[in-house]
Amino acid sequence: MNKKYDAIIIGAGVIGCPIAYELCKMGYKTLNVDKNPDAGEGSTAGSCAIVRAHYSTADGVAMAYEGFKYWLDWENYLDHVKDEKGLAKYMNTGSLLLKSEGHDWKKVKKNYDEVGVKYEEWDNEKIKQMIPPIDLHKFWPVTRPEDPKFYDEPTEMLEGGIFCPEGGYMNDPALSAHNIMRATEAKGGQFIFNAEVVSIRSENGRVVGITLKDGTQIDSPIVVNVGGPHSFKVNKMAEGVWEGCNIKTKALRHEVMYCPSPDDYDYLNKGYHMSDGDIACYSRPEVGNTFLIGSEDPKCDPQEWVDPDEFYAGKGGPGRDNQLTEAQWKAQCYRWAKRIPTLPVPNQPKGVVDLYDCSDDWIPIYDKSDLNGFYMAVGTSGNQYKNAPVVGRMMAELINACERQGLEHDKTPFQFKYQYTGRVMNVGFFSRKRAINKNSSFSVNG
Amino acid sequence: MKIFVCIKSVPDTAATIKLSGESSFEDSDCKFVINPYDEYGIEEAVTLVEKNGGEVVVITAGRASADGALRSAMAIGANRAIHVKTEEQFLDSSFTAKVLKAAIERDGMPDIIFTGKNSVDTEGFQTPYRLAAELGFPVVNEISKLKINGDKAVAEREIGGGDREVLEISLPAVIGVTKGLNEPRYPKFPDIMKAKKKPVNLITISDLGIDELFSKSRLVKLESAPERSGAKMIQGSVEAQVKELIRILKEDEKVL
Ligand SMILES: Cc1cc2nc3c(=O)[nH]c(=O)nc-3n(C[C@H](O)[C@H](O)[C@H](O)COP(=O)(O)OP(=O)(O)OC[C@H]3O[C@@H](n4cnc5c(N)ncnc54)[C@H](O)[C@@H]3O)c2cc1C
Repeated sequence: MNKKYDAIIIGAGVIGCPIAYELCKMGYKTLNVDKNPDAGEGSTAGSCAIVRAHYSTADGVAMAYEGFKYWLDWENYLDHVKDEKGLAKYMNTGSLLLKSEGHDWKKVKKNYDEVGVKYEEWDNEKIKQMIPPIDLHKFWPVTRPEDPKFYDEPTEMLEGGIFCPEGGYMNDPALSAHNIMRATEAKGGQFIFNAEVVSIRSENGRVVGITLKDGTQIDSPIVVNVGGPHSFKVNKMAEGVWEGCNIKTKALRHEVMYCPSPDDYDYLNKGYHMSDGDIACYSRPEVGNTFLIGSEDPKCDPQEWVDPDEFYAGKGGPGRDNQLTEAQWKAQCYRWAKRIPTLPVPNQPKGVVDLYDCSDDWIPIYDKSDLNGFYMAVGTSGNQYKNAPVVGRMMAELINACERQGLEHDKTPFQFKYQYTGRVMNVGFFSRKRAINKNSSFSVNG
Repeated sequence: MKIFVCIKSVPDTAATIKLSGESSFEDSDCKFVINPYDEYGIEEAVTLVEKNGGEVVVITAGRASADGALRSAMAIGANRAIHVKTEEQFLDSSFTAKVLKAAIERDGMPDIIFTGKNSVDTEGFQTPYRLAAELGFPVVNEISKLKINGDKAVAEREIGGGDREVLEISLPAVIGVTKGLNEPRYPKFPDIMKAKKKPVNLITISDLGIDELFSKSRLVKLESAPERSGAKMIQGSVEAQVKELIRILKEDEKVL
């Protein structure tokens, strides 16, 4: 006899865990299946876990702001569960968005006003006062160090920035997923690891279960794809699902660099998360007084779409494995060094490489599918860590509305009410059937 | 004070190296860095010159791509560079020593020559000794503490078991250095920019009157290290486990 569950969640990353958690709280008997050895060991482990509110759509801003409230209230959210590994911690640094041509910051500001996000406008003088080592020259347009124009002397200045006091990062993203797993278990949810799903079984247009690599079959009328960068592979396993998506997902390689902070600047304790479209980089503090420097994917940078299995197996040379490339090391560190001219840039590169599960318009797909009982929370496009607990709640309510209340979500999209901000979200915004959202920044900024 | 630092551009030890053919690898895919031990030499040289005046010259025998390592060294603070261009990544250390000696002599005799204790790609551990022999200089290696007193140096090295050997040598000398000597500084962007404009004297082997074919050893074959297999759990009672372990060590691994 196959084991049977009310819902199977494929993936135990920071998105998969909260979906299970919320379903459990609604009385579902859930099972998370993950081919990694523990929760959060997929792309979540490589995440910068930055929590910031600026998005190019009001819905994006609202969701991030709602997510922020969950991180603030982390122990409560977990219902005070004990985790033998300890609890991840939210570090509120505040978040500075520099006004630049690389970001549609006017739109962001309008969105802040609409949603009610607290913010201050900082002029250059104020920024300089708060971040002494910063150089506020305008370096736009973004170029690569191989391009002689990269070294042109800047002449103009930026025009200040928008500072949100509410923003920061979670100090250990993998641990945060692990915390949610423990909270889920406390509500009766189960997890199995080192278990790879190789097929998704269906009968008469309805999902009936999964099959693991070792042949084990597990049954459930509900299966949720939260496979992270593997999401397109999982969608292809389920009958008609991939074909039924107008928006597709694929895996994009992303490098994050570590540079020590200048000696006379305590970035760890006094620094902010910064988003800098002028040089297409973002940064946040990390232990050891380190700048963690990510890229906002400027047009001049090559995009490397990779096979997630090959990538995680570490095969096939740079571009397909988890090692920093010299060219990108220079690009990101040198760009950031324009902003922080005293930034030390080590000769021996250090950093993280992981994969974004990117959708065609860099906006996630939180939706049902063309196969009854099969759902997906995919296409997180490098920017959904911060939303994970909200997504968990939203997906659980969506699933419940479709499965137990007969909602036809494709026709009358589910309306999700945010617990903290009270705003109502049209979940149809995240539909797999949507046309490409032209309002998106088409970058990690979402 | 004139100080030479001999450096080598080596594949990053974290890089995945893809072999191609019998004895080469695909280096276009592979990240190269300064041999990490050489960085201690660069830092030491730069600090000494900052204190006492003089100049730091970095020198390498290597392929065109070794320019990156020279620029990195100059970003740390070396004043100029000499690049003896070779076709091969893998050089015989007696050949390297001859090349370095000739280039150093041509440039003018130094007070100190630093090298890393060894290079992390071939792990030969020979170049410092051979270079010193070529020059008729004293040599010490694996130095983690150093003091210069006029024309003498007091150098310390760990010799195992927590013991240290303290050596006094007369200068000029070849000093191989290792971790613990100092904390190599990280260049800042303006340093990196300056390093781009610092002079690199590019010379060929034949400029030095050395026969390119002179080599005492030759690389015949490169093989990937066997992939490490996962840990094996031995089950059963303590007694059974010990028995099984001894059997494995004797019969499978043949180490007992
Ligand atoms: C480098 C980097 C930096 C980022 N920075 C930020 C940031 O600062 N702020 C932010 O908000 N977001 C950020 N993100 C995005 C965010 O981290 C991700 O959106 C989020 O972690 C995705 O979580 P997930 O659970 O969907 O995916 P994962 O954590 O990848 O989990 C998916 C899991 O599914 C499992 N799986 C896949 N296929 C199968 C199968 N067939 N069988 C069994 N198991 C399977 C995998 O093993 C994996 O554990 C970043 C992402 C990256 C890569």
